[in-house]
Amino acid sequence: MKPEDENAQELHKRLEKLTSEIATQRKIARGEAEGEDEAHVQSTGQAMSLGFRVLSEFVAGIIVGALIGWQCDVWLDTTPFGLIVFLTLGTAAGMWNVYQLAAKTTTR
Amino acid sequence: MAAQEQAIDPIHQFNIERLAHFNVGGVDASFTNASVFMIVVTALVSLLMLAGTSQRSLVPSRMQAAAEMAYEFVAGTVRGSIGHEGMRFFPLVFSLFMFVLFSNMLGLVPYTFTVTSQIIVTFAFAAIVIGTVIVYGVVRNGAHFLHLFVPSGVPALLMPFIVLIEIISFISRPVSLSVRLFANMLAGHITLKVFGGFVALMLGAGGFAAFLAPLPMAAIVLLTAFELLVAVLQAYVFAILTCVYLNDAIHPGH
Repeated sequence: MKPEDENAQELHKRLEKLTSEIATQRKIARGEAEGEDEAHVQSTGQAMSLGFRVLSEFVAGIIVGALIGWQCDVWLDTTPFGLIVFLTLGTAAGMWNVYQLAAKTTTR
Repeated sequence: MAAQEQAIDPIHQFNIERLAHFNVGGVDASFTNASVFMIVVTALVSLLMLAGTSQRSLVPSRMQAAAEMAYEFVAGTVRGSIGHEGMRFFPLVFSLFMFVLFSNMLGLVPYTFTVTSQIIVTFAFAAIVIGTVIVYGVVRNGAHFLHLFVPSGVPALLMPFIVLIEIISFISRPVSLSVRLFANMLAGHITLKVFGGFVALMLGAGGFAAFLAPLPMAAIVLLTAFELLVAVLQAYVFAILTCVYLNDAIHPGH
């Protein structure tokens, strides 16, 4: 019973030691990677994906507004007022999408 | 770009070819090259997860480490953006993430077909996500789900406009979600093929142009690395946006 307990304790200690060693190694590796090309490429990629997100959110709002307005005109025979009204609302929705995106990223 | 006589056509890679013709009730349900690669992607994901979790050793093998990292990563994303309650959506988010990631990555291998470069595929994914949001939101919150469209603290005069804008904004979500993934994949692959075409054309022209031909070749190497980043990043963006939208279903209202 007792030697087994000791064995388990020793194993636990070794595991903890290993974990802390891995953590320090990782920190060192990260420190080396920072400021180099790799980090630069990654941040460029992330910035590009964020930019693309803003673009697609904005454009999607306008497209959806235009589609609704167009179909509204076709069904209700209100050309061109449906398109005008819903295109304006769609643009506003696109702006709202972008605003929400920006507001979220700053608060996080 | 199969035969050399063919003109350089960067769009050719997105052609859907029917391999076996099926017709189910007037609907063309043929087995295409897209279907082949969907099956391949699903098989690869299954292989990684099944082989990775079969050993369950304390010191993981490479396969097990990859499978565990994928799990931990998605689980962390889901917990971080929805909370513990969101873990019921973990299977959905994980499947979507792995499928998108693997089809993006597989598409970078020459002579493969990129499933996610078809807008119908990405739109189907977005429709699944938004459909889940609507169905689960209504089932869980009932009429309270509609508070998603009615922000608090808005003057009564402005309310109809705000509600309309919120509704359009909600409808635009699947559109932006699907178009973003599709456009990123399409643009990246076309760019790669166009640069590849430059190499062939410049070599064919001879003289000084042939001397410069290695330049676009080097650009392809850089672009491939960049496309690798985009492939992973877009899969991640897709997963995290899925989480954000599912969060609305659980906690409607701002």
